[in-house]
Amino acid sequence: MSKSRSKLEVLFGSKARVKMLKFLFHNQGPGFTAREIAARIQELPATVNIEIKKFMEIGLLRVKK
Amino acid sequence: MSKTAPKRYMLNTEFSSFYELRELIFKSLPAEKDDMVRRINNLGKIRLAIISGLFINKGNSDPLAADLLIVGDYIDKRKARSFLRSIEAEVGKEIKYSMMDKEEFEYRLAMFDRFIRVLLEGPHEKLINKLGI
Repeated sequence: MSKSRSKLEVLFGSKARVKMLKFLFHNQGPGFTAREIAARIQELPATVNIEIKKFMEIGLLRVKK
Repeated sequence: MSKTAPKRYMLNTEFSSFYELRELIFKSLPAEKDDMVRRINNLGKIRLAIISGLFINKGNSDPLAADLLIVGDYIDKRKARSFLRSIEAEVGKEIKYSMMDKEEFEYRLAMFDRFIRVLLEGPHEKLINKLGI
């Protein structure tokens, strides 16, 4: 909705990525499926899946056992 | 029934810069305040808008405290709902908000209503204040 990009969005290169990080850090604990994350941050599941893959690669995310 | 449950993901607290990153994300929250002011003003004849809790990142320990209070008249309910949904998507969390007209707010303020008092006495910031409080 907002046209101007926040500093974090510029820094992280993607609005969806920043939204995901905010969501994850503010909702630590239960673990979420890609679909749930997409619904909560109002992004496409495909976009979320791409970010999940990157976050998994760098070790920021892990799969809940 | 061989369908496996979808994977659930969570942050790995052992990530090397986990706490630095968390700090950065939490500090950033005042999600474009100017933008918020503009969008709130667009909802109706807004007299007062106060942010607290999750928007200002100070542990407001009172669970009653709202994150956002909007006081105004002729608030467009549909616009307000869509505004709140998009804010929730931006901060990635459900926000505790309250909307009321000027009359109700002034009544509750005069009554030392607990909800209003908790908000005004705790850490908060007035984004819009045309009531001179």
